Amino acid sequence: MIRFRVDGRSAVPPYLQIVQQVRQALRMGVLAVGDQLPSVREVVAATVVNANTVLKAYRDLEREGLVEARAGQGTFVRARPPGPPPGTHSRLGRALAVWVRQARAAGLDDEAIESLLRVTLQASAQEDIA
Amino acid sequence: MTAVIETSGLTKRYRRVTALSDCTVSVPQGRISALVGSNGAGKTTLLRLLAGLAAPTAGRAVVLGGEPRQDPAYLAEIGFLAQEIPLYRRRTAQDHIGIGAHLNPRWDGESVRARLAGLKIPLDRPVGTLSGGQRAQVALALTLAKRPGLLLLDEPLAALDPLARRNFLGALAEAGAGGGLTIVLSSHLIADIERVCDHLILLAESRATLCDDVETLLAEHRVLTGPRKDTTAIARAHTIVREDTTARQTTLLVKLNGPVIDPAWVVEEANLEEIVLGYMSQDDAGYGTGPEAAPLSAVGGDR
Amino acid sequence: MTWVTWQQYRYQAALAAALFAALAVLLLLTGLHAAWVWHSALAGCAKDNSCASPVGSTLSLGSPTVAALVVMTSAVPLLPGLFWGAPTVAGELETGTNQFAWTQSITRRHWLAVRSGWLLLAAAVLAGAVSAIVTWWSGPYNALTADAFQVNRFDITDIVPVGYAIFAMALGICAGALLRRTLPALAVTLAGFGAVRALIALWLRLHYLTPVTVHYKLTAPFTPAGSYLAVSQGVIGANGNPPASGTGAVGVDGVPVPAACQQFMPKAGINLQPVLSCMTAHGYRGYLTYQPASRFWAFQGIETGIFVALAAVLLGVTFWVLRRRDA
Repeated sequence: MIRFRVDGRSAVPPYLQIVQQVRQALRMGVLAVGDQLPSVREVVAATVVNANTVLKAYRDLEREGLVEARAGQGTFVRARPPGPPPGTHSRLGRALAVWVRQARAAGLDDEAIESLLRVTLQASAQEDIA
Repeated sequence: MTAVIETSGLTKRYRRVTALSDCTVSVPQGRISALVGSNGAGKTTLLRLLAGLAAPTAGRAVVLGGEPRQDPAYLAEIGFLAQEIPLYRRRTAQDHIGIGAHLNPRWDGESVRARLAGLKIPLDRPVGTLSGGQRAQVALALTLAKRPGLLLLDEPLAALDPLARRNFLGALAEAGAGGGLTIVLSSHLIADIERVCDHLILLAESRATLCDDVETLLAEHRVLTGPRKDTTAIARAHTIVREDTTARQTTLLVKLNGPVIDPAWVVEEANLEEIVLGYMSQDDAGYGTGPEAAPLSAVGGDR
Repeated sequence: MTWVTWQQYRYQAALAAALFAALAVLLLLTGLHAAWVWHSALAGCAKDNSCASPVGSTLSLGSPTVAALVVMTSAVPLLPGLFWGAPTVAGELETGTNQFAWTQSITRRHWLAVRSGWLLLAAAVLAGAVSAIVTWWSGPYNALTADAFQVNRFDITDIVPVGYAIFAMALGICAGALLRRTLPALAVTLAGFGAVRALIALWLRLHYLTPVTVHYKLTAPFTPAGSYLAVSQGVIGANGNPPASGTGAVGVDGVPVPAACQQFMPKAGINLQPVLSCMTAHGYRGYLTYQPASRFWAFQGIETGIFVALAAVLLGVTFWVLRRRDA
């Protein structure tokens, strides 16, 4: 069963954090199609957020077609978000870890790495448009 | 949506002090409402008036369809937890469960035992020997065991350490998850309760300055940043809640009345704490201007 | 609410019962002994027909310590009001636990009614039980000294202690509700009880019914039958005034001897007949204003009624305060 983590200080609203964590879990293979999501009460107790926040997150996921609510039983995963299978994510994640080690060894701190990543993403987006 | 609490011009005056002044608020059913304001703003007074522990000097309150009154049926619907956690210090949690069972028509003593067992709080020790956090949990469990329709909590987190606070808020959030229970809890720290509350009442200088769903507040308010400039255009179209000016920059907290057209302004979402602080500081410096600005005491649009 | 009240006071009730049991055993034993002494003395004087005179004020019926203890039971009616009554509302207000008690599903009126009802009953029962055993114990003493109507006996026997206890309890509860703190309420209960009891026992009681006044010859003093209550007594002249205090000796019982009779004062010994005959000849008479023994029960009833009425007023105030004031 997935465990959610809500960061009260993040700029991302709590309900969106939950949505993102479900999507990420599906990408990484932590959640598979057919798995049950924790009940609203369980999430509320674990993350100390308002029940409506969780309901909103689950509704958004339902609208995206990722989960479905079955009356009287709970909320279940219906589909994965579009994208490569979990294996790809793990593989790329490992490659990224290697690169990060290189970057750190070269003397980049986290902030420099993050800004390098941002710039690279933007540049590649421009390439796609162009 | 039916309002569980509806007050109109509620006022409470003591001999020389006005504790609450012309308070008009409304809380819809099922909400977990944060009652915020600085010390002395009137939070405790408002909660006691709603619980029927005090009588108003003027105005009226309608709670769960009737005025707060000495009536067993009404009292059964209200759960009240005072700031000092008023339990009988020499009695055990088990004793309190017995008291509750004999004084309430609806009583779920099993839920208290289950909840305290889950938190590993002993039932057979005098309540005065428990820690502050444990006492607060006992009191909350006892209040919930009444199965009330409205829960009123006065600064329940004040004396708790961070872990106890989280446990308490978790228990509250869970209790409110059904939608049948409406909760109002007061705090003078908004950061504490932001996650759990979906409604907010702000009391400043004994008056109700804000009373709305958190979602609405977040949608309606924005922070505008821009080079130091004249704000009359903004003030005309929207309501400026707070204005901060440095030599080079102007920052506004604004209640929107439509989109911001002027591209010179950078528009960002305001978080709840910024909104609350913005309204709270209104009374100090009189910064509110615009079509809907709340009436100010002395300072006008003077900068 | 009855269960809750019991839960709150069960230890105090047990303590009170234990103390009462100790007192009862003590009085039972000493009372039986006193009764035995008394009846033996009666049997003794019956043999030689000397019972007409007081059986001998030198007859000791028992230990003076126990007798002193019995007199101290006049404090018993105060104790429940002091220790149970004063803290009952004040304690809740002081510690804030009223915010718990009065947000359960009972009204303040119901809470107070059940709480004070049981406390009043407990006070009445305790005082009544102590009074019953003290009344029984005092039998021989009353027979010997005929002082049932006196302050030290009247106040601790029969039904007035019940009235006192109900009053003290009501006073304690009311003081607690008005002052909202236990220690001041204790002080007010103590002072108030003492003041009211003193006022009534030492002054008002003397006048419940118009006292009887009897004039008698100085040479043949008059003593009413049974346990009577003296209101005032003295010597009065033909003109209706007491003898003027003049120069010369103070005479009988602090009554000044008129100048004309000074010469008859005894040089030695205590034979006062000559002085008294002289004064009688000059028109002086003795008078005694008193409440006869036959009015004992009427007075018990009236006094109990007064204290119960006071208690009712105090309870009324308490209910009113609880309803009108903020919790």
